[in-house]
Formats: sequence, structure tokens, C-alpha cells
Amino acid sequence: MRNTLAIAGKDLRLYLTTWTSYILFGAFTFITAFFFYQLVKEFQLQLLELSQSQMSGMLAEMNLTDWVVGPMVINASVFLLFLVPVLSMRLFAEERRGRTLELLMTTPVRPVEIVLGKYLAALVVLVIMIALTGVFPLLLQLVGHTSDGSPIDWSTVAVAYLGLFLFGAASIALGLFASSLTESQIVAAIVAFALLLLLWVIGLAARGQEGAWQRLLEYLAVTTHLESFVRGILKLSDVVYYLSLAFVGLFLAHRVVDAQRWR
Amino acid sequence: MIETKGLTKRYRDLTAIEDVSFSLTRGEIVGFLGPNGAGKTTTMKILTGFLPPTAGSAKVAGFDVFEQPMEVKRRIGYLPEHPPIYPDLTVREYLTFVARLKGLRGAALRQDVGRVIDRVNLGAVADRLIRNLSKGFQQRTGLAQALLGNPEVLVLDEPTIGMDPRQIGEVRRLIRELAGAHTVILSTHILQEVAATCERVVIINRGRIVADDRLTDLVAKHSRDAQPASLEQVFLTLTEV
Repeated sequence: MRNTLAIAGKDLRLYLTTWTSYILFGAFTFITAFFFYQLVKEFQLQLLELSQSQMSGMLAEMNLTDWVVGPMVINASVFLLFLVPVLSMRLFAEERRGRTLELLMTTPVRPVEIVLGKYLAALVVLVIMIALTGVFPLLLQLVGHTSDGSPIDWSTVAVAYLGLFLFGAASIALGLFASSLTESQIVAAIVAFALLLLLWVIGLAARGQEGAWQRLLEYLAVTTHLESFVRGILKLSDVVYYLSLAFVGLFLAHRVVDAQRWR
Repeated sequence: MIETKGLTKRYRDLTAIEDVSFSLTRGEIVGFLGPNGAGKTTTMKILTGFLPPTAGSAKVAGFDVFEQPMEVKRRIGYLPEHPPIYPDLTVREYLTFVARLKGLRGAALRQDVGRVIDRVNLGAVADRLIRNLSKGFQQRTGLAQALLGNPEVLVLDEPTIGMDPRQIGEVRRLIRELAGAHTVILSTHILQEVAATCERVVIINRGRIVADDRLTDLVAKHSRDAQPASLEQVFLTLTEV
């Protein structure tokens, strides 16, 4: 445990003292801001249309949480798909290239502690990245108004963000595995991106299928599991999905690092 | 303290080392000498548990490198061929990190980091980024790392590479001082290094041990008539292709 924290501390330090992380923070916040702006504009248009067409029943259904924050989190997750490989690529590849893996492997530290330490550091960066976008629902809370209560349903937002975190955590685990395979950060990023993209397009492929096959593909897809979170529903099966994906990534990364001793 | 028996390492069709057997008693400094590509680094990587051997066994402080790697790693300080440094950390941050990996904590950790910084003479650059240091200082940072935790056994792979003559002199003096308290195995292809630091030398050529003797005996053996052979002559004779 202490070794895990030592490695996490070192990696976090490297994350927060190099440019890459800040570029990621900036890019992620900027793109999310763009989606946010579009969604708010759309929301206003929709409101205007509905109030003119006197469909007051529909009007009551309109709220900022479901129409702006929810879709924003879905969009952010897709963007995360592109950024996670950049975040995770250096984790092992850099140690291999810099020959420091040899140091880690010849000090009394177990491979599992190395893998978990690195994972922990990347999770902290992920949390910072996601937390930065929290400014957008906060903004709605400050300027939005409704006839009854808070303009934002914070419990739904919290569940949505939990979903986004789990989504990111699972992606990083796969990225960590990709990084353990090579000493080239570029290759690590490409492999991670290919894996994530595959898990993403499976969801699209599911649409043309039917029966059990369709349900299987839908279950495997990364983004479909985010949908219930975004509606504020915490479904065990979705949580289990992301946790098992994270476990698979960490397990494979551990196998690769541990295999060093057998080559 | 160190004992290898029939160590062999093969990579597909390439044999890096074959049937390497030698042993070191406590407190001994042994020079591991050989031309480039002779198998010195491979042997050291196996001793430190980074690579598994294809055949044979290695024991450090009575523990099998492959069966009880943690016990062995706790007792070895290792300076690989390329110093395993993080360019974006300062020397002190780096040493603190390695000290934590070696299980040091709190006051003992700070004290030991201070000790090795003094020992290897890194005080002047302790708070600078490793990236900005000269090759010689980077190498010394790698050496400092190996000394952390005061390990019984030191495995040093070409410790003076990239250093200027003054630094080389300092490091050789340091290595001589380590004798007695530590068991040191030092690889090099620089003959003067062996002459300056070690009493015993193991010469390896094309993966096989060709000599294992005290330095003086080795020179005596190869001397003809009254003319004493130089270490260089011995080396060239033994490592002929």
C-alpha cells in the first residue's frame, strides 16, 4: 500500500509538472464549454417554441438538468474517449523508454503495487479534469430560475458525474494496459484509442442487430451504460460493467508487467 | 554473498551468457571485466532479478534470485548500465522516491537521502532538475540511488561511464571505501578501473568466463620470463576472438 502511494505520488508529480496535463485540462474544458453553450442555446429555442405553441404540458417537462447537463455529460464522455489515451500513454511507455522500469522492478516493490500506483495517479488527474466541467452546472444554478425550487437537480448531476468518472476510470485502465505493452508513447496512445473506439462503435453496430446478439453488443458498448447515470438512475449492472472493464484493464497490465520476470 | 551456478541466458538463437559460475564472499569487491557485448550486463540483470535466466541459478545473501526475488531486492543496490533517472524530478525528489520504494520512511528516509547526497557529492545540485544536469552528475545520481538503504550487495554496471577524470577518481575512491561493509560487483571494460578498485577480477568473453583470479595472480600467470605482463596484455590474450 505504501509503495503504491509512493508510485502514485511520483507519477502525480510528473503529471502536474509537465505541460501535457494542462493542455488536456484546457482542451477538455474548452470543448465541453462549446457543447454546453450549444445545449443552452437549443434549450432556450425549445422553450420559446413550446411557449408559443401553447403546449404547456411539454413545457413543464423542460428542465436544465435533463436538457443541458445530461447531454453535456454524454458529449464529455465521447470527448474523454479521445483524451484518455493521451493521458494514459506515458504511464508505462515512459518508464520503459527511460529505463526506469528496471529501477521499479529491482526495488522491493511488487508489480501489482506499480500498476495500482500508476492507476491511482491517473485517476486523480481524471478527477481534476472532470471536476473542472462542474463549473457549467454551477453556472446554471446561479443564473437559471424556475417557478419551483432549484434550477438544477443536484442529485441527478452527482449520479451523472459519477457515471462519467466510472467511464473515465474504465478507459484509463485500458489505456494503462496499452501503455504497458510498448516503450513508444505514440503506439500506446494509438492502441488505447483503438480499444476505446472499438468499445464505442460496438454500440452503433448493435442498432442493426436483433435479439440476444443485439443485447450482447449493447451490453459491451461503453457509452450505452452512461445513459441511466445521466437520468440520475444508479443501476448496479452499469456500475458493475465499468468496474469490470477497469478490472480487465488492470489485470492485463499487471500480467504484462509481471511477465517481465519470465522473459 | 553472491553465488551463481551455470547461469545461461538465451534469446531465441542468440546466447548471451553460458554456464557462468562464480561466487563472492562478504565484503569483497570483484571487477567483472569483458569487451562490449560479452554478457556483463545480462549477468547483472539476472543477479538483480530483472531478467530470469534460461538455466542455472543465482543466490544473493543466501536467497535464490528467482524463488525469493523480494528478499534479494531488499539487499541489492543496483546501478544499471543506463542510470534509471526521471528527468523531470529534482535529485532530492528522485532519491526520496527511490528511498520510499526501498521501504524507508520519515526521519530515517531524510537522513539516508542526505547521507547518499553527501557520499556521492551531489549537494550542489540536489535541488536541480535531473534533466539539466551533466551526464556525469546524472550518472552519480544513479549511483546515489544504488547506495540508498545501505544494501549489503552493490551491483554496479559501468559506474564511471560519462564522467570526467576528477569524477572518475572520486567514484573509484568511493567504491574502494565501500569494501568490507558491502559486497560489490562492478562491471567495466576499462582496465584501469579494475586495477584501481578491485582485488579480484572475473573476465568474461562471448558469454563465458575465461578467468577468475586475484589481479596479482592473474598477471603473474601470464608473465613469461622475468617480464611482468600488463593487465592489458592479459585482457587481450583472454578475450581473443
